[in-house]
Amino acid sequence: MTEERNDRFEVSPEAASSIAYDVAVVGSGVSGALIAKELSGRGLRVLVIEAGPSHDLTVAEYETSLRRFYGAASKDNNAPYAANANAPMPRSTDTTKLRPGEPNADGYLVQLGPLELDSTYTRVLGGTSRHWEGKALRMLPDDFALRSRFGRAADWPLGYDDLEPYYRRAEFELGVAGEVEEQDFAGLRFAPDYVYPMHGMPRSHLDRVIADDLDGLEVARDGETFALSVRGTPQARNGVPNAAYDGGRGYRPVGAVSLHQAELGERCQGNTNCTPICPVQAKYDARRTLFQALGTGRVDLLTQAVASEVHVDPASGRVTAIDYQAYADPASAEHVTGTVRADVFVLAGNAVENARLMLASGLTGSSGLVGRNLMDHAYLLTWALMPEPVGALRGPLCTSGIEDLRTGAFRRQHAAFRFGIHNDGWGWATGSPYGDLEELVDRRNTFGPALRRALVQQISRQVLMAGMIEVLPDESNRVTVDPRYRDRLGNPRPVVSFGVPPYTLEAAAFARRLSRRLYQRLGAEDHTAYHPAEPGWVSYQGEGYVLRGGNHWAGTHVMGTSPRASVVDADQRSWDHPNLFLAGAGSMASIGTSNTTLTLAALCLRSADTIAKDLETAAAPVTATAGGAGA
Amino acid sequence: MSLHPITDVAGLHRHLEAAIQLEHATIPPYLTALYSIRPGTNSAALQVLRAVAVEEMLHLTLSANILNAVGGSPDLTVPGFVPAFPAYLPDGETDFEVGLRRFSTEAIDTFLKIERPAPADGESIRTVERPPRPTMLGAGKVADDSEEHFYSIGEFYRAIEDGLIRLEAEHGPELFAGDPRRQITPEFYYSGGGEIIPVTDLTSARAAIRLIAEQGEGDGGAIFDYEDEIAHYYRFQQLVLGRYYQAGDVAGSPSGLPVDVDWGAVYPIKTNARVSDYPEGSELRRAAEAFNRDYAGFLALLTGAFQGEPARLNDAMGDMFRLKDLAGQLMRQPLDAAGMEHAAPTFEV
Repeated sequence: MTEERNDRFEVSPEAASSIAYDVAVVGSGVSGALIAKELSGRGLRVLVIEAGPSHDLTVAEYETSLRRFYGAASKDNNAPYAANANAPMPRSTDTTKLRPGEPNADGYLVQLGPLELDSTYTRVLGGTSRHWEGKALRMLPDDFALRSRFGRAADWPLGYDDLEPYYRRAEFELGVAGEVEEQDFAGLRFAPDYVYPMHGMPRSHLDRVIADDLDGLEVARDGETFALSVRGTPQARNGVPNAAYDGGRGYRPVGAVSLHQAELGERCQGNTNCTPICPVQAKYDARRTLFQALGTGRVDLLTQAVASEVHVDPASGRVTAIDYQAYADPASAEHVTGTVRADVFVLAGNAVENARLMLASGLTGSSGLVGRNLMDHAYLLTWALMPEPVGALRGPLCTSGIEDLRTGAFRRQHAAFRFGIHNDGWGWATGSPYGDLEELVDRRNTFGPALRRALVQQISRQVLMAGMIEVLPDESNRVTVDPRYRDRLGNPRPVVSFGVPPYTLEAAAFARRLSRRLYQRLGAEDHTAYHPAEPGWVSYQGEGYVLRGGNHWAGTHVMGTSPRASVVDADQRSWDHPNLFLAGAGSMASIGTSNTTLTLAALCLRSADTIAKDLETAAAPVTATAGGAGA
Repeated sequence: MSLHPITDVAGLHRHLEAAIQLEHATIPPYLTALYSIRPGTNSAALQVLRAVAVEEMLHLTLSANILNAVGGSPDLTVPGFVPAFPAYLPDGETDFEVGLRRFSTEAIDTFLKIERPAPADGESIRTVERPPRPTMLGAGKVADDSEEHFYSIGEFYRAIEDGLIRLEAEHGPELFAGDPRRQITPEFYYSGGGEIIPVTDLTSARAAIRLIAEQGEGDGGAIFDYEDEIAHYYRFQQLVLGRYYQAGDVAGSPSGLPVDVDWGAVYPIKTNARVSDYPEGSELRRAAEAFNRDYAGFLALLTGAFQGEPARLNDAMGDMFRLKDLAGQLMRQPLDAAGMEHAAPTFEV
């Protein structure tokens, strides 16, 4: 079906090609939307190119995505969104066990291994924030200085204190709920009197039960002792606004995105469906920022347009144009190729798509690092049954975690990690509660009140602790392109090689041992089991583990201090192409133990300042109406 | 000009109690229509009804804040607080009936009447002589011993504002001597449209009244209010006219995106159902009684929240989910073999 355009802000491919924009942004996710909002707010003319359709700017359309999710047999991250062969996306269901030497090319990603990665991303309006969970953790000061503190990886070209003001702005833009007092660990520093825009999500009953038993438990590691503490997890989800925010001016939660007025989404209702889609739009996604950007009247949106090639002037290295393939109908490969011109170009696809587009354009970077240093978090799931019902499936997916092992001298020997405490039972590990229902009905012939009782007994006692383990940059983990693998529009698909080193595996082994101890202390029955037949199975020192991906793709255009050892500088500006910014988690020099979104948001707000300055210097002065929070 | 202006604090309390009752009285009809929509259908209508119902809850809470500010004590548990439906609301020379009915053109007609903009001239407060009706809401009445009624809901609120101004001139800031800890603040309450306003003086009291009046009827009949929010009247009208309003539109000619309404995708629930409609001892009857019991409990919880324990509003949230679930259970039950009519919650408290 041909999709209709909304003529208030959507441009036709013809119009987009005929306008000289100040800035052209490829991708409408968190990075692209924030940069578009910031720059249009300062009077600049911006084009946002999105590969997917412009769906979900009304509540009714959003509900279509919601119903697609409800009706889907597989509740994976991309289940709410229609398959689109013109802008295909990876699905975790495509990840299968690899056989040595044989790539898995069944899905959009071509996986070479050795580790089968079930990470995904989402190519729709708002990008991967359309399936993210919403955890908004700052990185730790130590995470920016791995080389100087622990002799590992490389230091970032900027430190925590450089990024701190941008973290504050990012927490405003994303609408983060959290309590600063709970973030007093591992040297995390906040500005004096700073509070998050909203109070933390209420602790779940499960969090309290776990805290009762585990708070204060001591773990010794490498000569240091860590006293564990269950802490609230800051997240971009609407909660109770903090009246003390912004010097007492408070914060007004931003609700559902809608072209007509729909009062919805200003508070989380605890539906436990954050990933992939919040039924009431209480979770932040980049449509909110994009919508504000469109509201300036200076942002054009070109949807159903897949960026296909970046053109560079060989003499100056400057990007001259980006080609895109515009299709009218997602069901047909028919398309026209257009060209967008702008003073500054921003690639804000994501770590994989940015690298893919650069490599497809023959731009490997003078460092040769485009596509290399691919990172993601390795997740080690552990699960158990608590002795009493603890109320699984209430509240947001995670309201608390254990953060105490996110840094320490042990990082010379093995990776850091955190545990997320899951309110959604064993869902991630076993497919619960759907699997439990199937088991009880089909295999145990339970029905009626007995079924209801059994479900409560079984599901409400479930606890899952997800160990999120740092994976350091490694040049052999990478995204490449290969002319043998192309999508329907002829664009090369991402070819992914990924493995985890002993540094990460040692942490996995430690996390697993620790989880046994924690479950023992909680009186919980440990049901964790890893099977060699599962994708992600690894063996380390005689024991097997299954590692899952975290969808935190990063590192494919790492930032650094020299063109020889990095792709972009601290502003995310390409060393080789001075008017090109590679934005997003791909710029991260390492990812520590924080979900990447808040940090990439902070980096992009910082880049927006740089781009605005570039263009102010290059052209007539523009009105400064910068957004962003004080506090 | 009303023959019975508000001249003392007791009179003010009485009017504000009536305002709370009035704001609440619209909620069961809106919820009934809302919950009668079959799940997965009528997204536009669902959003409109939901937004309006949520804002009526905001108005109720704002009225409670004003009453608390002037030393009153909101009580949603007094006998007769929930009207027996159909109830009557003032509407110019005549009253109109507000009932509990399925989402339908008749229901929307009634809702349009409830929210119809008052005449633009904001000075006069007109009243009218009407015969008494047993289910006439207190908000319509000017005084206990009178058969004089307000001409419209807008004029009723103007009378309250008038009284606040008069009494503040007389008593000074002392009029607002209520315990500020009884105010519901944004911390405890949110609504999609409009902030909750803590009331501590005449300015905040008038701001609260302005929000109530304009969210319902618009600013002197304008489509969008001073917060650029679309008035209830026009929200409902979109369903009839088949398009959303957007900035710049004139009343009656919305030019935004189309609005699809499927009047058939609705549970055919019985209009103004009563517990006595369900056979004694039946599961249905028990379910209807359970709903009413829970609804009464919910009103008691709100009363506690308005009487000094604002944090109890958090508990009320769980209750609202349960009430919705119970309402859905009733509405899915056919009352006859042919399934021509379904059960519904009765709101008999």
